[in-house]
Parts: sequence; C-alpha cells; structure tokens
Amino acid sequence: CTKDFADMNTSPNKPTAVSSAVLLPTGIETSVDRYWGHRDRFERINLDGGMLWVQYLARNIYSDEGDNYNMSPAYYTNNWKGFYNDALLNFQRMVVQSAPDGTAPHTNYEGIGMVMRSWVFSLLTDIYGSVPYSEALQGTGTTPIYTPKYDSQEAIYAGLLNDLKLANEKLVVSGPAVTGDILFNGNILRWKKFANSLRLKLANRQAAKKPAESKAIMEEILSDAAKYPVFTSNSDYAVLTHSTVRPSNNEWHEVMIQGGRTDWNLSKTFVDKLQAMNDSRLTVFGQAVNGKYEGVPNGLPDAIATTYLATSAKLGTYFTAPTTPSPIMTYSELLFILAEAALDGDITGGAAKAQEYYEKGIAASFGQYGLTMPTDYLINAGPATKENILTQKWIALFGQGIEAWTEYRRTGYPIMPTPDARAIFLNDGVLPTRLQYPSSEYSLNKAKLEEGITLMGGPDDKKTKMWWVEK
Amino acid sequence: QNSKITGKVTEAGGGALPGVTVLVKGTNTGTASDLEGAFALEAPTNSTLVFSFIGYATQEVALGNKTTLNVEMAMDAKQLGEVVITAFGIEREKKALGYTIQEVSGEKLAQVKSSNVVNSLSGRVAGVQVSSNGGPGSSSNIVIRGMGSVSRNNQPLVVIDGVPIQQANNNRYGGGISEVNPENIASMSVLKGPNAAALYGSRAANGVILITTKNGVGVKGIGVEVSSSITTERPSVKPDFQDIYGGGNGYRTWYNNGRSGSITDPLEIEQYRAAYGPNAPLSGTEGTDESWGAPMDGRLVRQWWTGTGVAPLTPQPNNWEEYWETGQTFVNSVALTGGNDKGSFRLSLGRLDQTGIMYNNDFQRNNINLSSAYNLTPELKATVSAEYIKSGSDNRSYQSGQQFIWSHRSVSWDQLKNWRDYTGVHIQRPGDDLPPNWQHTFFSNPFYQQDYMPNANDKDRLRGSMALSYDINSNLSLMLRSGTDFWTDTRINVTNWERVSNGNRLYGAYNEEVLRNSETNHDIMLTYKKDFGPDFSFNGQAGGIYRNNYYKRNYTSVAQLVIDRLYTLNNNAVPNTNESAIEEFNVQSLFGAAQFGFRNALFLDVTGRNDWSSTLPTSNNSFFYPSVSLSAVVTDLMEMNSNILSFAKLRASWAQVGNDADPYQLYQLYESKTPWNGSLPAFGESTDINNANLKPEITTGTEFGADVRFLGGRIGLDATYYTKSTKDQILGVEISKATGYNRRFLNAGEVTNKGVEVMLSGTPLQLANGFQWEVSLNYARNRSMVVELAEGLTTYTLYTTRGLSSEARVGQAYGTFYGNAFLRSPDGQIIYDKVLGTPSLAPGQTVLGNIQPDWIGGFSNAFTYKGITLSALIDVRKGGDIYDEGTGTARWTGQYEETAVGREEGVIGKGVKNIGTADAPEYVPNDVIADAKLFYGYNNPRTYHEAAIIDASYVKLREVSLGYQLPAFLTNRIKAQSARVSLVGRNLAILFRNNPHIDPEVDSQGGNAQGFTYGQLPNSRSMGVSLDIKF
Repeated sequence: CTKDFADMNTSPNKPTAVSSAVLLPTGIETSVDRYWGHRDRFERINLDGGMLWVQYLARNIYSDEGDNYNMSPAYYTNNWKGFYNDALLNFQRMVVQSAPDGTAPHTNYEGIGMVMRSWVFSLLTDIYGSVPYSEALQGTGTTPIYTPKYDSQEAIYAGLLNDLKLANEKLVVSGPAVTGDILFNGNILRWKKFANSLRLKLANRQAAKKPAESKAIMEEILSDAAKYPVFTSNSDYAVLTHSTVRPSNNEWHEVMIQGGRTDWNLSKTFVDKLQAMNDSRLTVFGQAVNGKYEGVPNGLPDAIATTYLATSAKLGTYFTAPTTPSPIMTYSELLFILAEAALDGDITGGAAKAQEYYEKGIAASFGQYGLTMPTDYLINAGPATKENILTQKWIALFGQGIEAWTEYRRTGYPIMPTPDARAIFLNDGVLPTRLQYPSSEYSLNKAKLEEGITLMGGPDDKKTKMWWVEK
Repeated sequence: QNSKITGKVTEAGGGALPGVTVLVKGTNTGTASDLEGAFALEAPTNSTLVFSFIGYATQEVALGNKTTLNVEMAMDAKQLGEVVITAFGIEREKKALGYTIQEVSGEKLAQVKSSNVVNSLSGRVAGVQVSSNGGPGSSSNIVIRGMGSVSRNNQPLVVIDGVPIQQANNNRYGGGISEVNPENIASMSVLKGPNAAALYGSRAANGVILITTKNGVGVKGIGVEVSSSITTERPSVKPDFQDIYGGGNGYRTWYNNGRSGSITDPLEIEQYRAAYGPNAPLSGTEGTDESWGAPMDGRLVRQWWTGTGVAPLTPQPNNWEEYWETGQTFVNSVALTGGNDKGSFRLSLGRLDQTGIMYNNDFQRNNINLSSAYNLTPELKATVSAEYIKSGSDNRSYQSGQQFIWSHRSVSWDQLKNWRDYTGVHIQRPGDDLPPNWQHTFFSNPFYQQDYMPNANDKDRLRGSMALSYDINSNLSLMLRSGTDFWTDTRINVTNWERVSNGNRLYGAYNEEVLRNSETNHDIMLTYKKDFGPDFSFNGQAGGIYRNNYYKRNYTSVAQLVIDRLYTLNNNAVPNTNESAIEEFNVQSLFGAAQFGFRNALFLDVTGRNDWSSTLPTSNNSFFYPSVSLSAVVTDLMEMNSNILSFAKLRASWAQVGNDADPYQLYQLYESKTPWNGSLPAFGESTDINNANLKPEITTGTEFGADVRFLGGRIGLDATYYTKSTKDQILGVEISKATGYNRRFLNAGEVTNKGVEVMLSGTPLQLANGFQWEVSLNYARNRSMVVELAEGLTTYTLYTTRGLSSEARVGQAYGTFYGNAFLRSPDGQIIYDKVLGTPSLAPGQTVLGNIQPDWIGGFSNAFTYKGITLSALIDVRKGGDIYDEGTGTARWTGQYEETAVGREEGVIGKGVKNIGTADAPEYVPNDVIADAKLFYGYNNPRTYHEAAIIDASYVKLREVSLGYQLPAFLTNRIKAQSARVSLVGRNLAILFRNNPHIDPEVDSQGGNAQGFTYGQLPNSRSMGVSLDIKF
C-alpha cells in the first residue's frame, strides 16, 4: 500500500514551476530594497554604509554601525547572501527558462532578466571586488557548480558589458508582452533605455583602465539612438515606485517611520557644501530644525553625537514617505557620465560638450525633485571640471549611497573635509574601500575565495582598492 | 493492648542479618535489627509485622499472641531483576536486556513536582541533558547521549502507553511532554541510543522516553487520590549590576522628551545648568539606552516621571527585583481508581494554573485522563488510555531580559509598572500619545506591552489509544492497537497598537495562526512465548505499523487595523498577508523480534524492521535495519553465591536505525512571496536545492555494559560504553551563496558519538532505628565528532548570529564556535592598540569554544526516618561554552558592575602592546590608558565575539524535598489510606558557576542551535508545598 506515496510527497504548498511574470517582481523588489535600504539593522548597506561614507548622513547614535567604519559581520555576510539568493537566483531562473531552449521561451523576459542580473552583479563587484560571476548561479544547472570560482573585476565588467549589449538585442519593443514588471510596467523601450544607460555607466567606470574598449562601447551606443536608446528625460529613468502597502513601501519609510529609528541626521559635510552653493535641493534632502540647517560631523562617539540629535537637520520628509521612489539610475546620473566621458575624451565634443551635459545634469537633478535650478547656481557650482562634475554628481546621487561611494572610490571626488577632531574612525581612519568577504565564503568556498583574493591584488580587508580606481 | 515483641532475623544460611526494618503493618511504628540481628518493639496483639531489607524478599508475619519471633529472610532474585517497560510496552526483566535502560518512578517524579515532568530527568538519568528556558508552559530541549544528527531533530521520541506523541521544543508554546500531567505517570523509562530502540524505528535513533501512566490495577474497591501543590518562583540569578552611574551618556543623565531632544525651555535650562554646570551640551540623554550617565549622587535631574520638576538621581539597586513578578503555580489533581478481577479503571482530572515571573504572563492546563482495561473473556482484554488536554493562556508573551541590557540603571521598574500614575506629568514629543516610559527612542514600556500586546492561545489535544489483546492459546497472543495524538492550536498575537510616535501614526496589527497536527499509528503484534525444557526459553514478536502524519498551518496577518484593539481578520485597512502549509507523510513498517533465553541467565535478542516511507524517492523508499544484543547474568551462569558479589551482568549490543527524509525534499520548489502592492502576485525560487535521489540515513550503535551489585544489592554499579555513528545523513548542507542557493539536500556526512555512562547507587547507612541513607551518583561523558560531511564540504553551520557561528567541521567536535578573537601575543596575552589602549582584533575566524559539555552528572541523596524523607539532587555540567550576547552587550552598554571601574580616570587593559613593527613586534606590558566607554565597548559581541564566550559549567542544587508521611492515627481520622505532605524546592542554588552574570543553563534557539543566549527569560528558583492523600 505504498502506491500513493509519490502523490503524497508532492508538495501541496509550493509549485515546481512558475512563470517569469511572478519571479520578476520578487527579483526587482529584493534587489532594489537592498540597494536602497536595507530594512534590517546591521544589513543596511545604504543607510549604514554608502550614505555615511560619502557623508550625506551622519549617525547621531551608534556611530559604530557604519559611521566610524566599523561594521558588523552580518553586514557583509547578509548582503552577499541577499543579492545572490533573493535577487540573482530569480533573475537567473528567468533567463534560463525564457531562453530559446528554455521551458518557456520569451525574448523580453530573457532580456529583462539579463539587465537586472547585470545590474546586481555590478553592485556585487563594486562592493566586494572579485566575486563569483562566470560560474555563479549554477547550483541547479545541468552541470551544477557548488563552489564557483571568482572572476576578476576586469573580467566581470567585460561580461556585463557584453550581456547588456545582448540584452538590448533580446528586448524587442514589438515582442511578446510582459507582466509583473513593477519597474517599467511592461514598457520594453524603457528596459532598452536602462540596458544601454547602464552599459554606458559601466563603460565609463572602467574607461581609465580599458580606454579603447570603453570608447568603442560609448561610440556604439551614442551613434545609433534608434538601436541603442538611452534615458532622455526625468520621465524615463530607472526607478522603482513604491506603494503604501507594506512591504512594498520605501525602505527608509520602513526603517524610520514604521521602525521609529531616528539615528541619522544630515552630515555636516553635505549640509555645508549645499549651503555654500545656496543649493535649494537642501530643502528636499533635509528639514531645517529651529529654522536652520546644521549637519552632524561623521564619526563622532555616541556621547558627542547624541547632543546633535535634536538640533541638527533631519532627513527631508520626501525621503521617508511610504511611496517615495527608489531610483536605480537617474537621467541626471547619465548626463554626468556623459559629461565626464566628454571631458576625458572618451566621447566626442570635448569641454564644450562636457559643459553642456554638466549643466543639463544639474538641471535634471533639480527637476527630479520638482525644483528649478536657481539662475545663479552655475556660478556657484563652477565650470565642468572633473571635480565639479563629480561633486555635482555626488549631490545628485543623494539617496543612492552605494553608487556615490563607488564614484568617490573611483575618482576621489568630492574632496571631503578634514574629519572633526573629536571623531574616532576605525580601519586606521581609511574610508572603507570595499566590504570584506562573508564568513560563509571562508567556510563554504575557501579555495576559490583565496584565488579570488589574489585576483584583487590585496588582502581581504577594507583597504584593498578596486580595479577601476583612478586615484 | 500492646505487648513487647522480641526476636532475631537471620538470612537463609543462618547468619545474623543486621539493619532489617521491622514495622507494625499499617503504621510507622517500627525498629531495625541490630548487629546480632536482634530486634525489640512494642506492638498490638494480633497485629502483623513487616520485615524488609534491600535484596531480600519482604516478609509479613502475623503475630497472633506470640511475643518472640525468629524470622529467616530469603534473597529475592526478583528484586535484583526488576521489571522494566521496553519497546511496545513489553515488560521485560531488566536482567534480560542487552542495552541500557534507566527508569524513574512516578513516586520520585511526584516528590518534586515540576510542571514540565521532563525537567525532573536532569541529573537523575545518566547521559540525559535537559535545558529549559522559558515562560509558563514552555518545553525543554532534551538530548540523550549527544547530538547525532547534523541538521535534523536530535530530540528523543516520546511514547505514552505505547503510542508516540509529538515532542516539540518551544520556549513559548511548549508542547509534547510538557503538557502531560505528572500525577498520572506511573514511571518513565529512558531508552538510550539506537540499541534500546530498534523497534521504534526512525525516530528512536536519539533515544526514547517511555511514559507509562497509572491505571487502577491492584486497587481493591474504589480509591481516591487527591494531590495539590502550590509553588512560587523567582529568578535564580541576578546579574551583578553597577549602581554608580545612571542612564545616558557623557556623564549626563537627563530626561527631556524621551528622545534626547535639545533643551530650550528656560526653566529646564536653569535646572540642567544647576546639575551639569555651564558647559554641558544642552540636550537630554534618554535616547541613549545605555548607562554611561551621571553619577547617581543625588543631584537633581529631570527624569521620565518628574515632569517639569527635578528629583534626586539615586541608585536603584533593587530594580531587578522590582521588574520580575513572583510566579505561582497551582496544581490540583483528583483521581478515581478501581479494579477487580474483571478489569481496572482510573479516571483523573488535573488542573494547572501558572503565572510567570514576567508581569501578565500565564498558562492554564486541564488534563482529563482515562485509563481502563476490561477482561471481556479470560482470553480477550480491551484497554483504553486517553487524555484530553485543554491548555491555553491569555498571554504567553514575555519581554526578554533586554530591559537589563539596553537600559538605564537609574530607573525604577516599580514606577514604570505604575505608569498610569505619571501620564499627567510625563513629557513626550508634542502630538505623541505614548504610554510613559524611561525613553521613547527604542523602547516602549514593557508593562504596557504585556497588557496591550498579548499572545494568547487556545489548544486542544487528544492523545490516546485503544487496544485489544487476545490470548490465542497459552503461548500465542495477538494485540491490535490504534493510537493517535491530535492537537489544534489557535494563536492570536497582537503585534502593535495604534499610536502617534515621533509625529508618525502607527497602526494596530495582529496575526492569527491556526495549527493542526496529528499522528496516527495502527499496530498489530503477534507474540509467542514458550519454554523448551528447563533450560531454554523463547519469546518472539512479529507485527506491523501503519503511521500517518498530517500538519496544517493557516496564518493571516493584519498589518493595519481599522479599529484599534478589535482583533478580527476583516478589520483590515490594507490587504492581509496569508500563509498556509500542509505536510503529510506516511510510514509503513514490518518488524520482528526474538529473544532466546538460556537458564534464565543468558539472553540473546534479535530484531529486524523494514520501513517504507513516503518521503523518499519511490526507488529508495524501503529500508531494513536489524539489531542484536546479548545479556549474560554471570553470577547465575557460574552459580556464584556470594554475599559480597550478589549479582553481575554483562551486556553487549549492536543496532541500526534507518531514517527517512522530511516531506517534499525531492523536487525544486518555488515559494510564494508577499504580493507587490498587496495585489501583484510574486514568487521566488526556493533557495534549497532539493534532491530526487535521496536515500535513507542509517545510525549504527554499539554498546557494552556491566551491571554489578554487591552486598545483597546495597551497592550497585552500572557502567556503559557506547558508540553511535550516523551515516548518509540527509543534510541541508549550506553552500556558497554565489551558487544562487543557500542549501543543498543530500546524503552525506558522518557524525560519531562515543561515550561512557556510570551509575553508582548504594545504601551507605541503614540503622537499627529505621534511619536509612540512600545515595546515587551518575556520570556521563559524550564526544560528538564530525567525521565527514558532503564531498567537497568541510563545514556545516549549525547556527550563526552576528557573524559568530556554531559549526560542524570535519575532524572537529560538533558545535565548535568560530568567530572574531582578540589578537594575542605569542604567550597568549591580548595586544592593545598602542595609541588608543583598546584590544586589537585577530584577522579571520578563530575557534572560540564548543557547545558540548565535558561531562554531565548527578548526585542524589535520600534520608528516610519514620515517615520522613529528605532528598536532595545535585546536578552538574562541566565545561562547554555559551555565546552570551547578553553579557557582552550589557558590558558594552555599561550595565554591569565591572564597567563602573575607571569611568572617569580611564582603564588600562591587562596585556601587552607592540612597540615594535608589525613584522618585528616587540611586546611590552600595556600601559596605555584607554577611555572607559571605548574600552568596554570592546565587549560588543556583534564584533568582538570572544568577549561574549563564557564557560557553561555549573553545579546546581537541583532539587530538595522534605516529605512527611502522616502516621496512621492521623490518616485514620480523615479516613485516608495514606497522606503525605512535602516541601519541595527546585533550582534552589547554583553552587558553582564560572561566569558572574547568568545562569549558564540556557537555550535560546532550541534544537541544534545550542549554546546561544541573549537576554533570555531568567531561570527561576521555585519553592512549594504539596499534599497527596489517598482514600
């Protein structure tokens, strides 16, 4: 009487196959939420990492949660896990099952899966350095790989740039319809724009190391706007618009309103810079307290930092609302990339073109918040030098702490002020250049990890420099 | 009419027998024989004298009108070969068993009443490790002979009257054995390891706890048993707090509006300046939930309860005592018993009312138990054993000890408990409507939360069985039995209430969870018994079992209530979150067992069992496992007849137990996620890689033992050596996350357990006046080693938190801690930063300890004298480590005594500093004065794991009981057969521990994640009185 055993052991709770339409929202939500938050304490890679290190925010308590460059092991372990297991796994499944030889061929899901997979891999490599890429995500492949090798950042960038080109080809505006698309609501043209804009970003990031390749890529994209569309305005960039229904709400709303945390104020560095330029975006980024904006110096011990809590500028209410969108890549960011590329000679047009992109980039950033750039602002901002472009990019990237941190590490801009004399920083005072590898890799993939570390040219600490570092 | 009786007691050979207890039957009047065997006492004419002595058959002699009496005592083989209950409820002579079984009588359990009866095994049964932690009605983690499985259940199987019940380990909701009414237990047997349990199959690889309930057999007419007890509880260990500095930071303690706001009000500025001088920053410090504040020297400061006034800042050394309630447990039980030659009957009703040491935390349980047997014909007997358990609580939630980890030492919990008294004066952010508390940044008033965020539950459980047994002829009998354990539990958990906090409106929220679980077993068993001539005997069983398990969970969460405090699923402002799951599986088995006896002294047991399980692939779902054991009573075989060596038995056994998988582990699955915006469906691939080629896992156990008794049983020694190895374990092996997956299921790995158990018991003193002293000592040591994991895998993570993990690594002991250690010089001293004076961190991961104890043991003593029994049990755990995140954190946050040292002048860490270079170090004693707060911050267990590893050794005075059997003249007056009053105490004292702040008996995670704790509900010391009367 064991006939019905097979039936009995078929899960009544969980399906053995699902459509890409239901995998897509999971992948997008988990990756964007992690990039923008995260909501769990000790995993807030943006709020307690990027946002502090580029001195947008400073902690008014528990400066040892990121602000003094200390980080709990959960920080580098759980983010690694989250990106691979929550996000990449589902994008990979979409790509595999939507491929021409997959179980549900669908060129647009395949293309979308490739774009999102590329974006998440770019985050991983920019955060950690060399990471498993070419052999990653093969746990249930036809030839499963349980201990994937690490690839150098250079190799990963080459792979991503190639994938994004391919994704643009896979994405067909007149192709099969897509549902479950919480990013672009099934608009394939916008996916193509994101794919190509992201490709431009990665090409620019590696331009100092691979000038010829990067130039060719930028040329390819910019020369054929029909084949390679990119963002053209503040209405078509890559952004996830949240909902009031938890957990689809904005991560900062979850942490600060639902969770009631008031641990952050605007950083003195950021406030001082914006005030010096009379930048009206400060009214959106922050809230004045007692009629003025005062920033908190980064890295202060708790006893000093807490004295700032009440009097210092708080985050703007825009950023803590439940539906506030989480940008992945904005139009202004693209314009600053082009400005830098023009200045560096990676694209044609030289300084004049750089100035044009620079001005449009600043205007787009103001426009993103419904503001108009003050008429005298460009005088305060100065001309389109490398420093000014990247300083403006830094301001425009407010909220996207990881991206800003990456650009700061690459270029050294903006130039940060001398730390407050009372601040105490760990990591020998060196702003973290990367996150350490998670302890799980030491346990579960040690041999490959050790090869991976040698690929970086430095030890697994928070001081080893990324491949694309320019200075 | 009393007369003086004299006489002499001798043993069969003729020698005098000293120390024999002589009692007038039905009374406590008595004496004992002296060194010459002589005795003398006063006794009524026509009364009966009872002669008893360990190892000898008890004799009753009617006096008639004799005044002298000579009695010859015979050795009692039966007493040496006591009967125990083994698998399937088969009664066996203990001497015939080739494996270890240890029994605890219901009497012992009843003497020291613990509301969770399994806690009474701690220290009493060798090799059984019980860890308890939790509120009323919680269950305990039980491990017998160490952990065998890397990733799966290591809990023993619990069987009541032959039928398995579900044993759960849950600090909050309890389950399984914790719901059994101890008053109904006739005996508990612990079958250790696979050898004893081959016949129970899969789940018995971790040992079996067999519970036999009382029945009415042997009761003449109608008997009534009444038992009542009242027990009170208080936390047993209070951490050593510092009572010098108040809450806050920067040597300032000041409540502003609950959130460290800036001080702007002129009056407040004036008050503040008076306390802290002209230069202190104008802000409150209550938002820092630590105690680095002002010296509690009576300076006048604003506190949460002072409103716009100020009050002296004074130490609150008793705020721990204020916080915890005195828990109370009332147990009342009545049983009605009866029996005759046709059958027996026992009906009992039990009620337990418990309140915890946490405010508003309770549990109630009603047990109705029926045990009945009836002989329909001389050959046909029907038995029913059934128990209905209704349990539940208005609030099972408790706030953990966080209030003493992240807290202000300067608060009084009595005042916070009376928060209603302060709503008028309490200052908070304008617009907020929070209950008064010492701060509002991270914490809410715990007493308010206990009142307004209860976790209530209501559980019905029915366990029981019906059996028919038929004696086909004098040799052959058949048993049919059907048993079930069915329960359903409805849990209503309030998770939030509506309020405005920091200007934001937060809404009420709650969830409902309905669980249903059942296990049904149908057994058939044929027994054949026959003696072949005077020397040979045979006893065999053959049978089959059909087992079905079903589990269902329905869960709905309301994230935003429309009307606050109305807890119904359609009172929702946003879409509800739904979860549901079903788990069902079936195991079918055939088994056989045969015992061959030779001269009632040499026994060979052979068993075999084949299981078919629905959880395995159809090609691999049948598996067979055998066992064989041998028992030789050497003293009988060699016809040794010595008064010194009374009994000697050697035993050896080998057994295998097969185990199946959990359901639904064969194929890759997808999980539903919360829909986007409450409406767009979302799924994700499961991060478990399932495996369609799983095969059963096999545990093999071998054991050797000896049971030796001396001086007619006055001294007994039982020793066992065992090995246990579990191979082809079905492991959810963690793999590199870069594979996209978290775990991979496969058959892999081998964990071995090797151990020794020794039990020594004896009666060192038995005096002529009836005084008797009994001692028993047990010792167990077990080593769990990870021999092999999956191919290419050397590490299995048992549990990880804050980057500290307990791991099973190949070649290492099971449960080794890996984490961040302090950097040490070659001679082992901590190296301090030569500038800051703070400890440096060693790179990478270091072995920091291990969860396994070196050994565990117990030492019990019982003194009896004329109806008075005094007994005490000492329970020992030597070695093993705990990652106590609570202690580390509470040092970091300035709560504990040691952090008061050097606050103002700084601290010099004990160790060295490197004045050379990294490549050519030169270590000199550290003399750098570090800032105290920074220095103690290096106890932060989230980064400095080593600081939070503590030794888990303890010696506990686990139980003391003083019982008094009321003399007959008193019991007669209330027409009772017997009456007993006892004073009982549990966890009375920790005689030794190797850490200052906690009771190291902890288990916060349950199951295989042993060795972790963080602000657990403290263990409690309980004291009570109980009364048992039989009519």
